Amino acid sequence: MSYRIPMGPYHPALEEPYKLEMICEGETVRDARLHIGFNFRGIEHLAETRNYYQVIALMERVCGICSFIHTLTLCQSMEQLAGLTPPPRALYIRTIMAELERLHSHVLWAGIAAKLMGFKTMFMTCFEIREKVMDILQAISGNRVNYSMNRVGGVNRDIEDPHAILLMVQALETEMARTIIPIFTTSATARSRCAGIGVLTHARALSCAVVGPTARASGVPQDLRRDAPYAAYPEMEFDVPVEPAGDVRARLLVRALEIMESCRILRQAIAKLPPGEFHVPEGKLSFAAGTAVSRVEAPRGEVMYSITWKENARNPSRVHVRTPTYANMPAVRWMVQGARLADTPLIQASIDPCYSCTDR
Amino acid sequence: MTPLETLRATLGIASPWETQHGASWLDCAGISPRTLAAAMNACGARFITITAYELPESAGFRLEYHWDLAGQLLGFLFTLTGNSTQSIYDLCEAADWIEREIHEEYALEFSGRACEPLLLRTGDAPGVNLREPIKPVSAPSPEVAP
Repeated sequence: MSYRIPMGPYHPALEEPYKLEMICEGETVRDARLHIGFNFRGIEHLAETRNYYQVIALMERVCGICSFIHTLTLCQSMEQLAGLTPPPRALYIRTIMAELERLHSHVLWAGIAAKLMGFKTMFMTCFEIREKVMDILQAISGNRVNYSMNRVGGVNRDIEDPHAILLMVQALETEMARTIIPIFTTSATARSRCAGIGVLTHARALSCAVVGPTARASGVPQDLRRDAPYAAYPEMEFDVPVEPAGDVRARLLVRALEIMESCRILRQAIAKLPPGEFHVPEGKLSFAAGTAVSRVEAPRGEVMYSITWKENARNPSRVHVRTPTYANMPAVRWMVQGARLADTPLIQASIDPCYSCTDR
Repeated sequence: MTPLETLRATLGIASPWETQHGASWLDCAGISPRTLAAAMNACGARFITITAYELPESAGFRLEYHWDLAGQLLGFLFTLTGNSTQSIYDLCEAADWIEREIHEEYALEFSGRACEPLLLRTGDAPGVNLREPIKPVSAPSPEVAP
């Protein structure tokens, strides 16, 4: 006999409100349906009432974890309509901020995953390290969540002492290489809890068009930083970790390896930070009529912004955002099929879902 | 012949690709979204999203279908005079949520599929989230009745 178990929209295992309605036989999940929209804010509609300064501040609030990435993608698309190219130093600062945000997101996720595994010590370790990542972000931007760094044509703040930031990054890398990375890659607890559960096959990953670490953990080698590079990524050397297994452990491994690659990019970007201006000269901007699109590899995967401007308009006439969780979440249905009910919190958390983004 | 030109020939579209503002665009007048989806599946492209625009004076809608082909962002433009178009959900599983969302935001019908509620809650109706303009209020109503 099958029965339905609703998880959410408010549930101890969920960080944000959504609903996973599971159809079970005994302890085994046979199928699941997803419900979103509990926090729908209509930000796309609201953006049509904001000018080009205000819309940046608004879109920074689409996501609390990827706030920099959202404004970066928005500014890149607006720069295309304004015909502006940010100076090289701004592109490097954007790359540094984007990689710090990736570190922050991955370490935060590692802590939440550790908590769901029942690995509370690791949870504490991850959140301690997360604080140190936020210290670096604060040292650069003056802020810890919404950084207010991006502007059309560059960034708002310079990195005045790159050497100090480099020392902070090196200390962080040493600490993560000593704690998070070995535990997540070799620990028997993490392996036994994560291996073989929540499998998303390569074929299903392609048909669902999942993105980011979720795709790379199912053997899909896509990463916009390499495939369609932006900011200073064309000048960075890094590897794109790919795991074929498609299970929760593969997603864990991909993110652990990406943490080290992010540190590698950060070291290069800070060492090679070019001199010069960090934004184009001040002045009133004008935008060409038309639609511009931009994509960025956020910590959770590809973000795409499409922005449309009409002739001589003060505000955009349309802003559309495709966030990574929006692409990844439907695949959870396939991940939980055949899983034990007790594993479903960890499985759904393994895609690092963000409902602030999804319910934008 | 480049992959993009091969794709244009496969679709039978005469107008050229236009590369600007972050993507390569193709006007898809004369073909259906399903023809496009089948061609994109055949060349191994990855679906990204659909962006919907309501045209002024109830003239219909413009839909932009976005795919990624080997790291290249492609945009395909469709103009609708009515409020219905063909669903590509059975050809492209990844289009499920965005078709449902557009249906709810603009009351646009995707024929060939049932659109289960995605963002709507009990009592909501399709078309209220983005389509209907907010009516200006002439004077603020008192919070407490006199």
